[in-house]
Amino acid sequence: MAEVAPQNQNVDMDLEWMDKTGSWDTNAEPGRNGLTLADIQIGDYGEIPDYSRNLSGRPRGSAPRPDSMRLGNYTVREKSEIWMDNASFLYEEALQRQWSSATDVPWETIEPLPDDVEQAQCQMATFLTEVEFVAGDVPSRWVAKTSPDFFEARQVLLAQVNDESRHMDVFRKRALANGGGLMRSTGSTAGFVGGIDLSRDFTEMSSRLHISGEGAVLTIFRMGELMAYNDAEKTIYRLCAQDEARHVAFGVMHMRYMSEHAPERRDEIHSYLDEAEGGLLTSAANPAGTLNQTSESLAILLGGGIKKFDEGWRKLVAIRRRQLMEYKKRVISAGFGERFENGRSRLTEIMEQAAA
Amino acid sequence: MVVLDSPRLWNRLQRKLAKKVKKKTEESTSTHVKQLKNFEAKKEEIEIPEPRLNWMGITREWGVKVLPGEKGLTLGSLNVGVYGEIPTTWSDRGRNPRGAIASGARLPLAISVQDKADLWANSAATLYEEAIQRRWIPATDIPWDQLAPLPDDIEHAICQVCTELMQYANTDIEVITNWQHKMAYGYHEVKQYLATASFDGARRYEAFRKRALSNGGGLGLESTCQVNRVLLESTGGWTETVATWVFNRLLFALTICRYLERFAYNEAEIKLYQYVGQDLARILSYGIDHLHYAMNADPEKRASVGISITIGDAFLVRDLRDPVLKEALSIIFGAGINGVNKDGLDTFYEMLDTYVKEYLELCAWLKLDRKLEQMPTIFQADKRKR
Repeated sequence: MAEVAPQNQNVDMDLEWMDKTGSWDTNAEPGRNGLTLADIQIGDYGEIPDYSRNLSGRPRGSAPRPDSMRLGNYTVREKSEIWMDNASFLYEEALQRQWSSATDVPWETIEPLPDDVEQAQCQMATFLTEVEFVAGDVPSRWVAKTSPDFFEARQVLLAQVNDESRHMDVFRKRALANGGGLMRSTGSTAGFVGGIDLSRDFTEMSSRLHISGEGAVLTIFRMGELMAYNDAEKTIYRLCAQDEARHVAFGVMHMRYMSEHAPERRDEIHSYLDEAEGGLLTSAANPAGTLNQTSESLAILLGGGIKKFDEGWRKLVAIRRRQLMEYKKRVISAGFGERFENGRSRLTEIMEQAAA
Repeated sequence: MVVLDSPRLWNRLQRKLAKKVKKKTEESTSTHVKQLKNFEAKKEEIEIPEPRLNWMGITREWGVKVLPGEKGLTLGSLNVGVYGEIPTTWSDRGRNPRGAIASGARLPLAISVQDKADLWANSAATLYEEAIQRRWIPATDIPWDQLAPLPDDIEHAICQVCTELMQYANTDIEVITNWQHKMAYGYHEVKQYLATASFDGARRYEAFRKRALSNGGGLGLESTCQVNRVLLESTGGWTETVATWVFNRLLFALTICRYLERFAYNEAEIKLYQYVGQDLARILSYGIDHLHYAMNADPEKRASVGISITIGDAFLVRDLRDPVLKEALSIIFGAGINGVNKDGLDTFYEMLDTYVKEYLELCAWLKLDRKLEQMPTIFQADKRKR
């Protein structure tokens, strides 16, 4: 191509770049769901390196410049550290399922509630406003640390950041839309060792954020129908649940990939799961956990008021157990189920504590 | 392969998908609730604690009832009473939502951008809602079936420009995600808007990759990275990063997209550049609004903003000294290599002049003292060497 000279020689053209390309003659075609990320993973462009040497931020499959500077501050350069097999699917699904908290929630269906129920709803909304963006800030930070050679995984994380921002927003809206207001935050997401914020490794972070933290919140959202008093609240919980399910799927699929491709790290992952399990009920980041301001507000919502607190508490206990069972299923699905058979997991003991 | 030959069919497919998704979500929720009810039915003796209720009645302002307006219940409309009080400094390094009562005991997070002047833009809440309303999906909103084989030189040029624009998008993503977690929660409107902006960046990255890989071409040569470098290495101040980003990247990228739309070869490309253009215009709006706010709130910032732009200019000149982008765009604008000397290069420089004109207008609006004759010669039509 470089030898093709312009007819009019007014300007010297270099055109050498025309010979410096990635694989050529690529013809991705749209399928039933349009032209998806999976559709463009073809030929060389679908080959993801096990170890990324890309430090200039060039798109995977493009031709490198030998004189490029090392701009990217990428610490995640091994595929097994971040990869999962369904990233393209999760990303496209995230795009298809975007929603607007301003217009997709039927706010007009909200009607005045008894004061105890409104206070419980607002306490829960305050809590969720507080915790939801942990799941926005933390993945965001890891995006910048991850080589763009693994861009499919980064795209899913960016979709998550966007989702969490909407969750933070929708619960603030709920708290301020029905004669209530924000209440007291829990401080449960501060930076302490073993917390989501301070994880030094992506898989460590993901085990805490996606598998245990968001997993627990997902169970709550799925039970939203039981604690919703109108269509607006039902819609909020349903829409948040579908987002959250995607985030949890990321964690499970990543851990499965890690388990299969970096078996030498399995024991280390078990250590993260030990910590995650320890906090399943006691961590204040679980709205159904043992912190009284969230567990009591949930019991009031589930029962239908303070007078039916006992009934609500029974449901809360059932939800806690369900959270634990779902956690177990996820860990088994991720390929770490042996911990429930070899005595390493404390889940049976925690299951008993659920009723306490 | 299903041939979707009209926008109506695309829309129908989208509506069908949305219905399916809604039904699936409702079914899934009901199943989970049913399962819980079965579980709960197995009554057993459990100890029910006496509720402490010490959290009840603890609020800074109660009785708030924000009603949805014409555009629904928007983020900005929530700024009433104490909830709309946005302090000039947010000293809390936790995640206490603005207007809530902070929990007493907690460890601080690594939040360093705590002054309103360092990140605020009055338009952030509006831009956030706009980003959500104007969402688009590269897989289905671009009529990819409208792509048709192009002459090899033009396809090469388009693929090269797409590669460059992907790398711009990558830098946009990394700029935002490097900073977002450092920003204080009291200014959640900005954090939330930036969350949409990094997602927009992901969509740009994806859309340009899809274009490059779907018409017989492939990716080209990586970018020269000079402005990328300035943006990523600017870690001292968000305002200063935004200054370089606005003047030396976003405005430049938006100008390129507007010209690409004018010279697009098919409906798919027109749509692509239009969608990307609207996303870039939004992040540019945030940036301009922030610079305006920052320099008014803290006049000393005017100097550091000026220096940041000067440095950015120098690095943009380094990028432009490389012939690749210029040649690729000139080929696109000239309808092939043979049209470069006829129209292509002239259009490229016209594009550069448009960029410089808007750059200077923006400087004037922001009251930044900047004149054409102070700028590098490549930006001055009468002094530049072609």
